[in-house]
Amino acid sequence: MQKTFDIPREKMTNEELLQPGMLSCQGCGAALSMKLALKGLGERTMIVIPASCWGIIIGTYPYSTLQVPVIHVPFETAAVVASGIRAALDVRGEADITVMAWAGDGGTYDIGLQSLSGAAERNDDILYVCYDNEAYMNTGIQRSSATPPGAWTSTTPAGALKEEPKKDMEMIMLAHGVPYVASASVAYPDDLVRKFEKARNIKGTRFIHLLSSCPPGWRIDSAVSVKVTRMATQSCVFPIYEIEKGKYTVNVLPEERLPVEDYLQAQGRFREMGKEMIRAVREQVDQRWLELLARADPGKNQASFD
Amino acid sequence: MKQVIKGNIAVSHGVRLSRVKVISAYPITPQTSIVEDLSEMCATGRLDAQFIKVESEHSAMAAVVGSETAGVRSFTATSSQGLLLMHEMLHWAAGSRLPIVLTNVNRSVGPGWNIWADQTDSVSQRDTGWIQIYCESNQEVLDSVIMGYRLAEEVSLPVMVTYDAFFLSHTSEVVDIPEIEEVDAFLPAFEPRYRLDVNDPRMFGGMIGPDYFYEERFVMHKDSMEAVNVYPRICEAFEQAFGRQYDVCETYRTEDADLILVTAGTITSVSRIAVDDARKAGKKVGLMKIRMFRPVPLDRWRESLGNALRVVVVDRNISAGLGGVFASEVKSALFSLEKRPSVYSVIAGLGGRDVTPQDMSGIIEHVLAADGPGERPVFWGLKE
Amino acid sequence: MNIDERRKRARLYDFKTWRDFPPMNVSMGNMLHNRTGSWRFIRPVYEDKIPACQNSCPAGNDIEAWIKLVQRGEHEKAYWHLKREEPFPAILGRVCFRFCEGSCNRVQLDEGISIRELERFVGDLVPSSTPHPELHPFNGKSLCVVGSGPAGMSAAYFARILGFQVTVFERLPEFGGMLRVGIPAYRLRRDIVEQEFEGLRSMGIDLKPNTAVGKDISLGECLERFDYLFLAPGVHGSRKLGIPGEEENPNMMSGLNLLRAIALGEKVHLGEQVIVVGGGDTAIDAARSAVRLGSHVTVLYRRTEAEMPAHPDEIAEAREEGINFRFLAAPDRIETRGKNSVQKLVCCEMELGRPDESGRRRPVRKEGAAFDLEAETIVTAIGETAAFEPMARTLEETGGALEVDEELCVKSRQEGRGRVFAGGDIVDGPHTVVHAVAAGKRAAVAIDCHRKGVESSEVLKKISVGDGVGLSFSAYMGWQPLNPVPGNLKTVVRSEHIVYDYFQKAPRIRNSPLPAVQRKASFDPYVETFSEEQALGEAGRCMHCGRCTECDNCLVLCPDVSVLVKGQGEFGYVFDYNYCKGCSICFTECPRHAITMADEEIAV
Repeated sequence: MQKTFDIPREKMTNEELLQPGMLSCQGCGAALSMKLALKGLGERTMIVIPASCWGIIIGTYPYSTLQVPVIHVPFETAAVVASGIRAALDVRGEADITVMAWAGDGGTYDIGLQSLSGAAERNDDILYVCYDNEAYMNTGIQRSSATPPGAWTSTTPAGALKEEPKKDMEMIMLAHGVPYVASASVAYPDDLVRKFEKARNIKGTRFIHLLSSCPPGWRIDSAVSVKVTRMATQSCVFPIYEIEKGKYTVNVLPEERLPVEDYLQAQGRFREMGKEMIRAVREQVDQRWLELLARADPGKNQASFD
Repeated sequence: MKQVIKGNIAVSHGVRLSRVKVISAYPITPQTSIVEDLSEMCATGRLDAQFIKVESEHSAMAAVVGSETAGVRSFTATSSQGLLLMHEMLHWAAGSRLPIVLTNVNRSVGPGWNIWADQTDSVSQRDTGWIQIYCESNQEVLDSVIMGYRLAEEVSLPVMVTYDAFFLSHTSEVVDIPEIEEVDAFLPAFEPRYRLDVNDPRMFGGMIGPDYFYEERFVMHKDSMEAVNVYPRICEAFEQAFGRQYDVCETYRTEDADLILVTAGTITSVSRIAVDDARKAGKKVGLMKIRMFRPVPLDRWRESLGNALRVVVVDRNISAGLGGVFASEVKSALFSLEKRPSVYSVIAGLGGRDVTPQDMSGIIEHVLAADGPGERPVFWGLKE
Repeated sequence: MNIDERRKRARLYDFKTWRDFPPMNVSMGNMLHNRTGSWRFIRPVYEDKIPACQNSCPAGNDIEAWIKLVQRGEHEKAYWHLKREEPFPAILGRVCFRFCEGSCNRVQLDEGISIRELERFVGDLVPSSTPHPELHPFNGKSLCVVGSGPAGMSAAYFARILGFQVTVFERLPEFGGMLRVGIPAYRLRRDIVEQEFEGLRSMGIDLKPNTAVGKDISLGECLERFDYLFLAPGVHGSRKLGIPGEEENPNMMSGLNLLRAIALGEKVHLGEQVIVVGGGDTAIDAARSAVRLGSHVTVLYRRTEAEMPAHPDEIAEAREEGINFRFLAAPDRIETRGKNSVQKLVCCEMELGRPDESGRRRPVRKEGAAFDLEAETIVTAIGETAAFEPMARTLEETGGALEVDEELCVKSRQEGRGRVFAGGDIVDGPHTVVHAVAAGKRAAVAIDCHRKGVESSEVLKKISVGDGVGLSFSAYMGWQPLNPVPGNLKTVVRSEHIVYDYFQKAPRIRNSPLPAVQRKASFDPYVETFSEEQALGEAGRCMHCGRCTECDNCLVLCPDVSVLVKGQGEFGYVFDYNYCKGCSICFTECPRHAITMADEEIAV
């Protein structure tokens, strides 16, 4: 009978590079992201994990839930430690091993931005993945520059909600001229696995941005963890696309666009947003979506919403 | 083969001869010619290594943490602000038990921008767990890099080789550069016990609770203290191979000395002259050179200094609110002796201010004439 | 990887002194010792449920399962799966009212599945006299079925499977009841009905035509000869209009009589203009039959089209065939031209007033709004009534329907207590074919319970499907469901439980009926059966609500790698409860609601 996702059964059952017993919360999007990413990458992978939720999820010494080599590193160094490992592997003649930096939004957008920028400018042959739960979740839900406007966090409480727009990390990476930039999420798992398979075979700095739901931080029931992630794409808040050597492809075109309000109202963290702010966010999302469509298909006239 | 080279070039020779495979460095005066020379070597193929041109010193150390964990001999160099910026990573490197060698050009720490010789940068990193070696000459710098890798890889701790800005980094001296085959015989290939390996996947540096962290730090400290015994053996092997003698510390004319100067860096060279002058004048003066500063060679220091009446520690560094760091550590080492010499603390040469043989002779005189050491260090040459 | 292998790989490390530590901070093992299943307070279980289609089917047909078999290319298995719950797929595949299609959850996505067409496809594939695989040996009891309509046929069929010795008495020369004499041939070919009876005969059921119970054999005799009786004579009388001019006249007839005459091959002459009074399927059948005999037909209905009980598709096709509809009109009197002819029908306009007991708005005469309609024949189809002679008195007392108790026994002092059962239209009033089939199934089970000395009402409750009237004969027989997964017979999966995001729109496959002008030229059927390709295509649109299809969603989306494939060629998955945290993502993302979240048992 037909599988929902275009992922062969053997791929899901052949090996367990991620084993259970991990310390993630119920419904953790980051745990699911790692599981699926490794399905695309396989066992010839090394992972660099800076301070972030995954620093804890993996388990406590002397145990690790991952069956690939992992090195924990200080918060801001994921990209450059990966670069160092890559140099060493090249010296050893092991060029087919993927070195992946697996960092949260804090370690990418904020404190880790410098080392990421350095690695990207050098086009170091690493795969950099930002699993983005849109706040410093590991330390208790504080805002980052990846936190979307209107979201409650412990440092943007009601009355002082974050107003600044979310940094556009894909564009920042693109500005470095790297060969591959993509966004993905567990709500479209076959697309995610495919992107990791593809990224594995590209040389140079590859950047994948994963929207990673966090039930405690987003104030949602763990049961709807994947559903809300899907709503992010259906409402065009989190478009799923890839840019390969400057060429844009939008991978998920929502058949029926979900209103942005539905996405916001599904999460407790947006409960304090006023109508004005919702309207502003909706406009921002619309604008960015249209720009993206235009870049993906410059020949077409600018799309409009009917 | 003997050549006349600057200190920084001696470093790059040391790196080449040690067959370093990954270099990651960020330029900062007065370390820049190391970086430039190594880039040139890598570009011409004279050195077969990957050079990651990182965007900051913090990243420089992070990169070599990565490459060493992947099992490849790695190197970085820095100075002053760069070393300070690396501070978090220095702790990380030592705690990770990675045998990195770092050469640090001792330059003062801002603000104001002062680029000249001062040891405050490296002494302020003494708690990071790194082994620290202080050099007096360009030959010593080259030799210390090579010995540094052997020591680091034997005890699994990183080694910091330091030397004075401009006095050594940019001053040419005669250096006997060994042949690479000779160094190969002395320094074997790097064989890590654990490394990032897809055939033996493990997690490095993970979360560790109060039930285990304590013992890890204990082991690190124990292994560091053990380096005091390992290093002399390495120095002996080095002497056999290359004919040059080194130790954890060196004494000069201290056998019957009543007053012993304690110095590190180029002040040592200057002090030797002052010691000879004092001896000529009939004063029983000697000198202990600090080479290994971390771990502290407690027994050797006590041995070298214990019989003197007066010990004069000259610090080209300052820990504001305490005084000279070497003085504080020497006092601490001597504290357990039943019969303790008086320890005099002198601060000199901060920010590259010249310390001449005359200065050193003056210090000797000052100390001989003083009643006692006094609480406070003497700021030699202070404009008052 | 399976659960046991995982457990074996768990290992604890205990560093007692600093000497036990590795020389650097490096891991030694995995986290499998950490059984995160202890975090749960609810746990997922695989539990197949009842899809909306099966719930709304009066016979409780396990639609999802046989469609799945069609998808797998196992058409013959699909046929026998259909036969578990109903006796004649070839018939129902042509005439069923299709309650299932109306409630199909796919309606919210694009269009419902063409279930009846699929049933027809399957029904036509296997000859009806193929030996039934599930026949029990003779259980020692005999059953007499009165009436060979769908209720009687169904009871005979299921009773035979249960091992009863079955005899069916039919008063007409032809078998089938409404199937044969009520439904026109263009909807249900004669030969198909005949073939199905051949099938029943080959099962060992004794079929006796031309035997009217009450005339050729008395009820008392039946009671003597047989252990059990099932009365299913149907309702073949027709309600009178009750208006002046309505008398015995060959040009005044009931719809049922017209249809029966045509069915039995009698000559019928209707004339140019025909009026059919009524709004149900009988009215439409009569009207469309009249058209095929060459008349112009007007259908008169006292309410509006929206309230017509006939199937909307039937109404549409009738209209295409040139039938006029006159709504909100009722007949007042009939004017004749002499004794044997009808000249015109005087009618009155109506308007809708307040709702009656059926929930529909009661029509009220509009004063002063009379009009005439010319006609040569008037056909009345305003409701069927019981015409069962042997119990005419009881029927008069009970207002035209036989009353039965919880055990489906007829409530009556005269007949043998607990041995006379009844079902179908005679009990429920005029209903659809599938309702009759359901009644027959219900009776067979009730009778079998009686034979075993077991209270049937409890049993019937236990095997009832969802919240409808359907029964699962498979549950009664203990037959394994298609999916080897624990099943819940009561929980219904409706559209709010389906995750439509996981389904792509696809147009409904249907064969167009022949154009009206061709259709009305004969009594031949006018819609082709599905081809193999069409059947596979349409079966492929089934969302399998409430039933696992091994779509792998749970396997892919479990963040804790706690869904494992059973493996070794076995169907489905197993949860590794050692690690499952009860996050419920599998539950939410199962496209078809085949997982249930159950309370975790807490050991006290």
